[in-house]
Amino acid sequence: MPEDPNSIVIKDVSFSYEIPEEDSGKAPRPALDGISITIAKGSYTAILGSNGSGKSTLAKIIDVLEVPDSGKVVIFGKDAGNDDLFWDIRSHCCCVFQNPDNQIVGTIVEEDVAFGPENLGIPNPELRQRVDQALKDVGLYELRHRETTALSGGQKQKLAIAGALAMQPDILILDESTAMLDPSSRDDFLALVEKMRLEKGLTLITITHDMTEALRCDKLIIVDKGKAVMEGRPEEIFMSDDLWKYGLKRPVKYIFAFEIAKLTGQRLTCDDLKSDETLISALADMLKKPDIKAPEAPEEKKAKTDRHEVIMSVKDLSYTYDGSDVKAIDNINLDIMKGEVLGIVGESGCGKTTLISHMNAIFRPVSGDVTISTKDGVLSCRNKKDTLKIRQNVGLVFQYPEYQLFEETVYKDIAFGLRKMDVPKTEQKSLIREAAYRVGLTEKELDSSPFELSGGQKRRAAMAGVLVMNPGILVLDEPASGLDPRGRQEMFTIIRCLRDSGTTVVLVSHNMDEAAVNCDRICLIDGGKIKAVGTPAELFSKEKAEELNIQRPRITRFSERLRKELEKVYPDIVFDGMEFEPEKEALSVVKSVCREAGKHNVQ
Amino acid sequence: MFSKISLGRYYPAHSFLHETDPRVKTILYGVYLVTVFMIREPVSVALLAGIVILQLILAKITPGILWSTVKPMLPLALFIFIINVLTIKQGDVLFSWKIITITGYGIGRASIMAVRLIFLIISTSVLLTLTTTPLKMSDALEKLFAPLSLIKVPVHEMAMMMSIALRFIPTLAAETDKIMKAQQSRGADYDTGSFINKVRGYITVLIPLFVSSFRRADELAVAMDARCYSGGKGRTKLNPLNLTLRDVLTGIMFTLLAVLVVLVDLSLR
Repeated sequence: MPEDPNSIVIKDVSFSYEIPEEDSGKAPRPALDGISITIAKGSYTAILGSNGSGKSTLAKIIDVLEVPDSGKVVIFGKDAGNDDLFWDIRSHCCCVFQNPDNQIVGTIVEEDVAFGPENLGIPNPELRQRVDQALKDVGLYELRHRETTALSGGQKQKLAIAGALAMQPDILILDESTAMLDPSSRDDFLALVEKMRLEKGLTLITITHDMTEALRCDKLIIVDKGKAVMEGRPEEIFMSDDLWKYGLKRPVKYIFAFEIAKLTGQRLTCDDLKSDETLISALADMLKKPDIKAPEAPEEKKAKTDRHEVIMSVKDLSYTYDGSDVKAIDNINLDIMKGEVLGIVGESGCGKTTLISHMNAIFRPVSGDVTISTKDGVLSCRNKKDTLKIRQNVGLVFQYPEYQLFEETVYKDIAFGLRKMDVPKTEQKSLIREAAYRVGLTEKELDSSPFELSGGQKRRAAMAGVLVMNPGILVLDEPASGLDPRGRQEMFTIIRCLRDSGTTVVLVSHNMDEAAVNCDRICLIDGGKIKAVGTPAELFSKEKAEELNIQRPRITRFSERLRKELEKVYPDIVFDGMEFEPEKEALSVVKSVCREAGKHNVQ
Repeated sequence: MFSKISLGRYYPAHSFLHETDPRVKTILYGVYLVTVFMIREPVSVALLAGIVILQLILAKITPGILWSTVKPMLPLALFIFIINVLTIKQGDVLFSWKIITITGYGIGRASIMAVRLIFLIISTSVLLTLTTTPLKMSDALEKLFAPLSLIKVPVHEMAMMMSIALRFIPTLAAETDKIMKAQQSRGADYDTGSFINKVRGYITVLIPLFVSSFRRADELAVAMDARCYSGGKGRTKLNPLNLTLRDVLTGIMFTLLAVLVVLVDLSLR
């Protein structure tokens, strides 16, 4: 086989992780199972797949961090199986991983950037020049003498990119590098990486759970159970109906478009998906046809119970961390209504976590107060002797709660809170069963060690540990972060069921799309202050969003362009209000068009 | 509470001592360690205090930072003071009640003991941790102990491990804080209850902390591999240690000052 110097060729590669001695009875499930892919030099490729599908292992194989059990890996004509070449390959391929904290070696910014080229043995005038250039490229040059721990999450990931660029790689692999960033740092980061790709001619490979991010690529590869199951341009891949099987979803605008096609009984073609313009004109064409019928959708029973009862009230709350001059939160006033899902939205470092830490007296209010109405009357978080009762009533699940599991079995871990509250053993059993049922854990999983579970199951186990105390209010900090699209959807289904059973939910998020769909009201926080509170429809109306300077959900931005296009055909059309679920928004648009078209036909 | 740990923290600044070669600082640290334990006369203690103040100025360390480094050790200093006051029975008795005897000489000796401990902390911080980044410190140790690699001591690896350990102190402190908060919100209480209960409470914190440290270690190892780390061989340095005349003179000057203090002390006995 002549080796192509212009592509990464992976052929029939299989790989299994070594399993610990005591488990050697079990057959190892291969992380990669005869996978074959080709990636062209200079291309921009996304590798997609569910949690545990083998995506990250594939990245490690390309960087020769793992050696395949069988198969062939040839990087730009160099065989990775050749011991003399593998060092050469690795020095031209760089990875940026998910957790910024776990890939920084140096204490000082420039020391960390130098780590890679130092390992390569680059001598000094050049070494200094490479480090400075890399820092200038990512915009961290001014911070070169800072401590690495003092950087924000977004800056840390940029530092990791600088560390990679200083090695002057040909290939850059982003292994879920944006998963822990908020939307503005994420856009910033991607813009930087794409600029570097064009400037330095990098081959860019990104592993992501964000389908809209994947749309920016030239090519998508879907990996499932260690095999490449689909490969193609984004518009080809997203035509497929099998995505859900692989734990994936279409990007929101495609969900919306396909729903319109379904409702009008028509089909979208691959060409329609090429760009936003083609897609909008295709959708407008579908809706322009005079003979479309109004879809017979069941009228939504919007059980909008009037929510008058305040269950938690935050009054004049301010907090300043020791040794800081800036208030982390500044004069927060907020009423939370019984039975609602309240979203708390804002960028990293805006004070969201500080605020929710006050909600169950983890931080005792220093100035201001938080009061909670419970069946034992109104409790104040300032009152030390009510602490345990407050924590029973307000369950708090921090970000990545699965890292805090510690017991031998899931059952025991869930029981931790009940033991602390002195609930009798006999009652514990039924409470634990119920909590496990609510998050969808099986009996078998209750008896296994929490460390044997998959990522999504661990998170549910950790949530069950809080739910078991039957809190009236549940505060969740980024409950879906790091999960694949299917996992995210399942998480939000759990949250909706909790609300339906009467739990008040406070949901912290930096994802506007998900907050708009899942929250009854949204509280927007900026620089420690409340910027606005209202229903999603209020906050994301065009005027209000502009006034607040917030980015509206993707679906709203896209649907508005379609609505504008339709106004050209039906100048008098009156649209119903914006919906934030793509399917519902599609229905709303189609209905409005049918109503208008009906009028024309009568005349 | 754990995020305030100042042990091993680097204080970023440009100062005379920050720019002094870490090898010189490490040797000077050894010299001052010995000096602190050799002296016992108030005059020489005062002289040493003068030198330490000079070092603080040369390192541009503000009183606030100094205080945050010394503060955590004050209880220990106080403890040493009290034990010494109670155990030294020589000299004029100032106060006596049952088995407690306090003497003027005892108070003097005890004060010097406590002050020595504080000097020890200040020297460690000023000469090493506050003014030297962990990577530079590990460079210095690697160079100073390089001869040991001839007898197969893995000097480079040990130095690297040390610098990574220091780099992760703030990260793990933040993690501990997070785990404790999560458990507190599930009803855990670390402050009240019997001693046994408290210890048990901390075990539930330690398990997830260990698990996550292993996970972090794993990920860091992969990240280092990806950046082509393969031990000390063939590695270059962005800021190679560079012994200048100024460094040598600094070393000689402070060593002479230390010798002077010791001589004064010996002559007064």
